[in-house]
Amino acid sequence: MGCATLLVALVGCREGGAPAGPGDGPPPRGPVDGAEYYAAECASCHGSAGQGRRGPALAPWSGSRDALVAAIDETMPYANPRDCVGQCAEAVADHVLTLTGELDCSSPPLPPRRLRLLTRREHAATVRDLFAPIASGEAPANPCADGTTFRYVPSRALRSVHVAGSFNGWDPSAWPMREEGGVWTLTRVIPEGVHQYKLVLDGAEWIADPNVPETAPDGFGGANSLLTVRCTSGGTTGVTIADPPTGLPPETRPEEYPFDLQADDGIVTLVHATEYLAAARRIADALGDSVERLVPGADRDGFVRTFGRRLFRRPLTDAEVARYAALADVETDANAQRRLIVRAMLASPSFLYRSEVGVLDGGTHRLDGYEMASALSYALLGTTPSDALLDAASRGELDSDEGVRRAAEAMLDDPRTRATLGVFARQWLGLDAIGELARGTSLATRQKLREATERFVSGVMLEGDFDALFTGSSIPADADVATHYGVAAPSTPWSAVELPAERHAGVLGHASVQLRYAHSDQTSPIARGVFVRRRLLCQEFAPPPPEAGGVPDVDPNATTRERFRQHTESATCASCHQYIDDLGFAFEGFDHEGHVRTEERGLPIDTSGVLRDVNGFGTDTDDPIDDVRDLGAALAIAPAAQDCLSTQWWRWAHGAPESEAEECLVREVATEFRRSDRDLRKLLVDVLASPSFRRRGATMEVMP
Amino acid sequence: MGAAIAAPFTTLLRPDLACASGHGARRVIFFYFPDGVAGRSQDGDASLWEARGSGGRLVLSEQLEPLAGFEDRCVFVNGLQMGGTDEGSHPGGAKKLLTNVDGGNGQSLDQFLASTVGRSAPFPHLYLGAQATVNGASGDKFVSYPTAGTPTPPEDDPRRAFSRLFDGTIVAPTPESPGGDPATELELRRQRSVLDVHLAELTELSSRLGRAEKRKLDVHLESLRTIERGLSRMDMPPVDPPVSSASCEDPRLAYDVSDETRFEAAVFGRILDAQMDVMVQAMACGLTRVGVIQGGHHTSELIMSHIPGSEMYDPGYAMRSHQASHYGARHDRSNRNFVDYLAQRRWWVAKYRALLERLAAIPEGDGTMLDHTLVLLCTEVSDGNTHSHRDMPFVLAGNAGGTIATGRVMETSGRRHGDLLAAIATAMGEPLAGFGWDSREALPGLITG
Repeated sequence: MGCATLLVALVGCREGGAPAGPGDGPPPRGPVDGAEYYAAECASCHGSAGQGRRGPALAPWSGSRDALVAAIDETMPYANPRDCVGQCAEAVADHVLTLTGELDCSSPPLPPRRLRLLTRREHAATVRDLFAPIASGEAPANPCADGTTFRYVPSRALRSVHVAGSFNGWDPSAWPMREEGGVWTLTRVIPEGVHQYKLVLDGAEWIADPNVPETAPDGFGGANSLLTVRCTSGGTTGVTIADPPTGLPPETRPEEYPFDLQADDGIVTLVHATEYLAAARRIADALGDSVERLVPGADRDGFVRTFGRRLFRRPLTDAEVARYAALADVETDANAQRRLIVRAMLASPSFLYRSEVGVLDGGTHRLDGYEMASALSYALLGTTPSDALLDAASRGELDSDEGVRRAAEAMLDDPRTRATLGVFARQWLGLDAIGELARGTSLATRQKLREATERFVSGVMLEGDFDALFTGSSIPADADVATHYGVAAPSTPWSAVELPAERHAGVLGHASVQLRYAHSDQTSPIARGVFVRRRLLCQEFAPPPPEAGGVPDVDPNATTRERFRQHTESATCASCHQYIDDLGFAFEGFDHEGHVRTEERGLPIDTSGVLRDVNGFGTDTDDPIDDVRDLGAALAIAPAAQDCLSTQWWRWAHGAPESEAEECLVREVATEFRRSDRDLRKLLVDVLASPSFRRRGATMEVMP
Repeated sequence: MGAAIAAPFTTLLRPDLACASGHGARRVIFFYFPDGVAGRSQDGDASLWEARGSGGRLVLSEQLEPLAGFEDRCVFVNGLQMGGTDEGSHPGGAKKLLTNVDGGNGQSLDQFLASTVGRSAPFPHLYLGAQATVNGASGDKFVSYPTAGTPTPPEDDPRRAFSRLFDGTIVAPTPESPGGDPATELELRRQRSVLDVHLAELTELSSRLGRAEKRKLDVHLESLRTIERGLSRMDMPPVDPPVSSASCEDPRLAYDVSDETRFEAAVFGRILDAQMDVMVQAMACGLTRVGVIQGGHHTSELIMSHIPGSEMYDPGYAMRSHQASHYGARHDRSNRNFVDYLAQRRWWVAKYRALLERLAAIPEGDGTMLDHTLVLLCTEVSDGNTHSHRDMPFVLAGNAGGTIATGRVMETSGRRHGDLLAAIATAMGEPLAGFGWDSREALPGLITG
């Protein structure tokens, strides 16, 4: 617990609190009761049982009472250390000494009922998909967006069929086909161009695809199947839908929550409302007479019901149908009426918020099938549920655990899930900002490097092993990415290339991460070390204390590492930096542009160090590491890294960081993830299909 | 052009506003800059921020020096504090700055004023930023809180802000036919009908939800009501008649920063200048009464040494705002961080002055817009190195139609800054006896008339 006094959560730990209007003041405080004070000022960071949350665990306390009293007296609460001294510090210390460190999960809580404002990303995808049928006329599906489907019907029973070809490095195990009723299928997004491939039966027998007449010699006396992919651009018969609102403000989120999905901050300000209304008008106007093709042959009420269900992601009530039908009376022309209905629906709260409110069922609320359809579709596909999924909801197929699980599993093979997981990876790793950095590497290349990381992570989450995230040796690359990494470009863009040996550390070896966590003119071991702790291990740090000072000045006679030596020479600095700096030093073999380097200003680079307490502050482990490969290998087997990924996915699915009570739910997911030997596909489904996702807050929360 | 602006009505003054033009402020702008100032140092060097003097002789500090010539239009408020909670932190300060509630768990003053005295304007609130949302900025980087606990980001794009204000995105009757045109009439009926549906839906939805979700929907509801009021105002004289008809009829935006370069430090000053132009024209046109301009965000990575033409310009050297703010324990002029930090802070003050100049250049009544506009200069910590929340650096400009005596220093020794916020509200015609926590009265002595 040596770091307990300094390693505390980020500021803003204090949660909730009554909104204060003009003139309200904080409650006056009488004599201090240790338990009460702890609950009010300490528990949000250290946990109500002292188990540690964003701040370190305190219980069971291993040091002396005097040390604890002194620590509280001098440094706590972090945000206001003068607030609790003397008798207060003693009272709180005595309370801490009674804590067990065990969170009581005997009666797990329920997540709150929520309305979730569509994010800009979700909104754009939703609008695009809603109007795709008429925007593209009868144009064929676009294989570059929707994927290419392989289909194989064998004449004998097989255990496995894989697709291996130039698009996946001829990997015989990367792309498994799935069997249903004797038919094996696989849908994948394959880049535009001409590709060669074979089918691999039971992991051993390589055959050309019997469905494909075009072949090329395989160099072994046999034949490869030829696949030609051409992206279609959406056809010319449809209307062009005006852009979705581009002027929507960015989402806000708390610092410790990495995703754009933060439900509690989703508010519609005047700017939002103006943009929504303006976009709705633009889109409706652009529809022209093709609006009638949205629901062919429907009368006004039928149009409201059918298109309304698509927009609101649930059936409309009769009252709603009547309301929208009445609205249309403003117009006389039938298509003008339809356009006005579309316009109104596109800015309706029922469209803008996705509902996780539920229906009352046995004292709590249960998300209904339609709400589950939306939850699954947005979490995995990043867009609005399809008609087919809404139909499934109407048949009650999403009212059971198994039904939800089946629907989620089916989505994993949808190429849009791959793209959504790329967004998850981008936000999880904090790569959103990569376009805004001042770097020598061009913007286009930086974006490509990020895309490579996104493709890598989504590929691992769908087909790979957890270990690969931190030990993987290859990365999907195009020519620009390959050039940055100094390797030969793959014959097919975005197929995997082997990285130089010093980068065999999964995302830690990626230039996107290395240049994101750096300054414009030098590396930042601190930013990189904190990245590993916060993003990959879910361990939060306090900001540096006031006396910390900034980045040491560049010194022509010293390496970056040497300039930061003070961090470990000063006991005060070391109390935190012992956990950070060595992790960052492991990256010193990569400069601020993400290029490999072996020396800095002619001085040799030292990347060795110690990974201390990887599974939590105070767990007393020291892992010696030589470079990022060692760091990656340690993360790959660290329970904290596994728990962190499952926690991040939980946060993504729920659209919020977990409250303390919800830690019990997060732990359930983490435990199951470990128990499943880190089955990533199962994790993706488990969080959404778990009963605790579908059950929401009790009746008491409802206003009369 | 000229959304919701009816030129023929420029001469109509509502009697209450005609009165207000002589007493109190008609508008307010909060001008925020990040990362504090060179205040009292960690080792106790005296603050290099505070203006000094009384009895007619006012001495600006070296950081305030760019205000020379404008000191008569300012009140230099020294000694306010923001409370002990989260002291030592940038985000904690940003959350308290305009809310005066720990953790931002209160509505901010700008939003409070938008919902009261600003409510009658077409845009009750205008929040403009310069590179404020960059770098994946989390919510704690923003200073405006529409509702307790939930911040909102500023508009960082001057073009978008400009077109939203002046292009009439929602309703665009031409100045020649502010009503009476059948096509416009039909469009207005559509908009009213659509809004009616949404208002009814929101009300129903709200009734089914718990308090937290209701709070969010209340913000939504108020946004729609603002738009609705705008629609019903179409045929009426503007509540705030334009001060400058040119601002309405021929608003200008001189801004040539490309989307590709808008994150670069080299263009930062141009973005900020453009946002000040937008703000002043919007106010001159009567479109808004409450504005916030946010330059950057706290713990800023903005490389201020790359701002061309600035005192600290050095293209070969990267000195960031936050980096410079950690200049060390002493005010050491042999330390480049410290020297750069002073220069950076002067640069911010010079931008604040440029805003005052814009306002002072537009006649209003028998004076200028500055006489009827309060402009608060603020940042989230006092000394950038210690992150102290005591002796906060506030400067208030504008004499509120003669009700605030300017050209002086106010020593407030340890009062909560909510008292200043309450006094600003009071000067804006919304009298408050305190704002936020530990604030029990509007700052006495500020309002003199």
